[in-house]
Amino acid sequence: MAKNALGREIPEFIEGYGKTKLFQGAFALKPEGYRAGGKIRCVNSTCTDKRVSDIKAAIAASGLKSGMTVSFHHHLRNGDFVVNMVIDACAEMGIKDLTLFPTALFGVHKKLIEHIKSGVITRIMGSVNGPIGQLVSEGGMDVPVVLRSHGGRPRAVASGDVHIDVAFIAAPTADQYGNICGTQGKSACGSLGYAFTDAQFADCVVAITDNLQPYPAAPISMSQLSVDIVVEVPSIGDPAGIVSGTTKVTRDPLRLLIARYASELIEASPYFKEGISFQTGAGGIPLAVTAFMKEAMIKKGIKASFGLGGITGYFVELLKEGLVERLMDVQSFDLEAVRSIGENPKHIEISADWYANPWNSGAAVNMLDVVILGATEVDVNFNANVNTEADGALLHGTGGHQDTAAGAKLTIIAQPLLRGRIPCVTDNVYSVTTPGEVVDAIVTEYGITVNPKRKDLLDACSAVKGLPLVAMEELVSRAHKMSGPTDPVETEDRIIGVVEWRDGTVIDVVKQLKAK
Amino acid sequence: MNTAQAGTLESMDCLVTVSEAPQGTGVKIQIAGSSAARFKSAMEKKTAEVIASMDVKDIEISIQDNGALDIVLGARVEAAVKRLMGGER
Amino acid sequence: MRRTMLYLPGNNPNMLTRGYLFGSDGLVLDLEDAVAMAEKDTARILVQHFLKQGEFGSCEVTVRINGVDTEYWKDDLAAVVPFPALQGIRAPKVDDAATVKIIDEELSIIEDKNGIPVGRTKIFCLLETAKGIWNAFDIASASPRVAAIIPGGEDLTADLKTSRSKEGTELDWARRMLVFAARAAGVDPIDTVFPRVTDDAGLRKETEFIKQLGFEGKSVIHPNQIPIIHDVFNPTEQEIEKALKIVAAAKEAAERGQGAVSVDGRMVDIPVVKRAEYTLLKAGLLEVK
Repeated sequence: MAKNALGREIPEFIEGYGKTKLFQGAFALKPEGYRAGGKIRCVNSTCTDKRVSDIKAAIAASGLKSGMTVSFHHHLRNGDFVVNMVIDACAEMGIKDLTLFPTALFGVHKKLIEHIKSGVITRIMGSVNGPIGQLVSEGGMDVPVVLRSHGGRPRAVASGDVHIDVAFIAAPTADQYGNICGTQGKSACGSLGYAFTDAQFADCVVAITDNLQPYPAAPISMSQLSVDIVVEVPSIGDPAGIVSGTTKVTRDPLRLLIARYASELIEASPYFKEGISFQTGAGGIPLAVTAFMKEAMIKKGIKASFGLGGITGYFVELLKEGLVERLMDVQSFDLEAVRSIGENPKHIEISADWYANPWNSGAAVNMLDVVILGATEVDVNFNANVNTEADGALLHGTGGHQDTAAGAKLTIIAQPLLRGRIPCVTDNVYSVTTPGEVVDAIVTEYGITVNPKRKDLLDACSAVKGLPLVAMEELVSRAHKMSGPTDPVETEDRIIGVVEWRDGTVIDVVKQLKAK
Repeated sequence: MNTAQAGTLESMDCLVTVSEAPQGTGVKIQIAGSSAARFKSAMEKKTAEVIASMDVKDIEISIQDNGALDIVLGARVEAAVKRLMGGER
Repeated sequence: MRRTMLYLPGNNPNMLTRGYLFGSDGLVLDLEDAVAMAEKDTARILVQHFLKQGEFGSCEVTVRINGVDTEYWKDDLAAVVPFPALQGIRAPKVDDAATVKIIDEELSIIEDKNGIPVGRTKIFCLLETAKGIWNAFDIASASPRVAAIIPGGEDLTADLKTSRSKEGTELDWARRMLVFAARAAGVDPIDTVFPRVTDDAGLRKETEFIKQLGFEGKSVIHPNQIPIIHDVFNPTEQEIEKALKIVAAAKEAAERGQGAVSVDGRMVDIPVVKRAEYTLLKAGLLEVK
């Protein structure tokens, strides 16, 4: 057993995962070698139509066999039908022992539990939440789940750590030769950012669409160069679950208070000037921060250079009002965003690789000034946990947390100090997702807590009258005082989750919970 | 058997149900809900403290929690016991 | 300063825990309208525990008790007055000076019994009937404990046998009269709550109007209303000057090793010093410690 750079104990070898590389620091590991790739294809003029009759025919044509790795994107969110359709079909065809490699899973995918229990899926690499997360935490899978960030996933594929045998890409629009796009069709989802890696690197790519257009479809996100098989189905998803209604800024007073403190911090920082860029959040607090930032930007007469990440109608408004010059969209959350990306050339679709991969010639997160994030816990060293809950259950994916924190010049974690009785600030997080070296400040309803390593930020904040600064020690002590002492989480020795840092090293592991 | 309740299931509150218990039962405490996983010991301690301060030796207490801090838990236990002693309102 | 006094429902742990964080000048822990009859006892105990151990920052802490016409008011007072954290009680449906005197007497008994300096607990009177408004000056002068008089909204409107309008026509005279009565008696006039919690523009308009009438501040039903009201009621030069005096006197007393602070020959309590500091903080003249 060895300790990584954060003092977490990591075994040299984990059953079901392999040899571990220890986390050495956010920017420590440098890549070597060349990019991996998928099989070289050859398609002649004899084939002008890549369509097959149904999902099962597609699976058969793809060469998918038991033991292989299949991948999916999550742009259809909780309205997705595709993952369940494909895995159901695999089960019926007797295919088993699959490694599931989605970019994320949602509540609608809890149907997969029966396939996990029956052995159709024996390994998952990607986020696990809700009932699947609970199942995994209690030891329901033989092999540990591997959690990677949005940037770590394309890195893992490009460097050959993960090989995708068959990628199934839900395509709101497609033509018979495999050109696909996300902005048109009854199941439109906007950006298809998370699917690009799969299209580029899988041995076989299957496009599943409910909106076939004459060849060549336009506009095109991923092209015929990467798509091997096309399947038409009646519906790839439920629009009500794919896109939400207009995103409104929260009126919850606690969240508004925290958002106000966060925006005061941003305004005090050296980054609040013409050309500022920020990560676009959809959650309560990040969106409220943007609303306050908007007021402040108008007052100061400055514009933002770009908004990055998951795009909502609120940001589309900012773009239209000229308060931000560009939107770089890796995921479109609502109808306005879907419409905008399809119509406005200043609203750009970007891939997960482009967004967040640490091992390319420069991801978008590197150009980011400010990001507002959440966390279930943060510790005295500013390490953040987004994967496990206070009870030790593995319930959330990493998302873009590690990537934006590592890239942004000002990383703020904004969170109520207490969720019920559970404090978000502790002496030691239960598991680490993002290391303190890239977390600059915690903002709670009690004020602004700046990482002491950021002397420049502390100086900038002290120069502003009335900023409610709170030392980390005081925050922890207050959390202790209010919540009281905690009982330790009881676990078995078995590791059920491996949390990778963006560079593929192991930043932490999660153990199985003791049965109640 | 006489029982009484106090509190709610709203955020940061808890619902405390107390029942009379035969002499010699002692103080029996059951805790369920969002804080139970990490704060059971602290909550049992606080509950026992409040019961002791009210000079009650035999009682059954069941707590359904939604994130109550000690200050709230104490108040709800006290209120439930007072209701039990003073007759149902 | 009493620019804002935020109502916190007395049976709501979430608001009792966090209420002070929203930065109002005062808090009103509500045992009356916010609490159903069946829960009067549990709310009382909850508020008591918070007065004992809770945190209120630099807010002026008051409790709205049930009316003297109910069976609850004496128990309410007995439960909350003994605690140093409490600075005043807000009494609903005060119709005449006699009601004030009844409350005054009960407060003295409880203060005396509990070693609290007699007279410490202030009374904030809600005038919710035509009779109460008519008797405003007498009520305001009825006891040195009276700190403020406040018009009712719904109840007063009902007593006038009319309805509430956006323009506030029905409350207009009551408001104006109440300001005169309060200032004549040397107490604060505080305005009633603005019930439409999502109507920010409407709140600002009403607040500007009542500020101009001479009100000291406003009761608040939702934390989101606080920043708007504060913006309208930013401390004036006068208030800043007074606060500077108090803070300087407190500093001087501390340097001389004296516990008691006096300004212009009158004793000044710690809460008053705290609020003076707060005034300067809001005016940007005091550093956060």
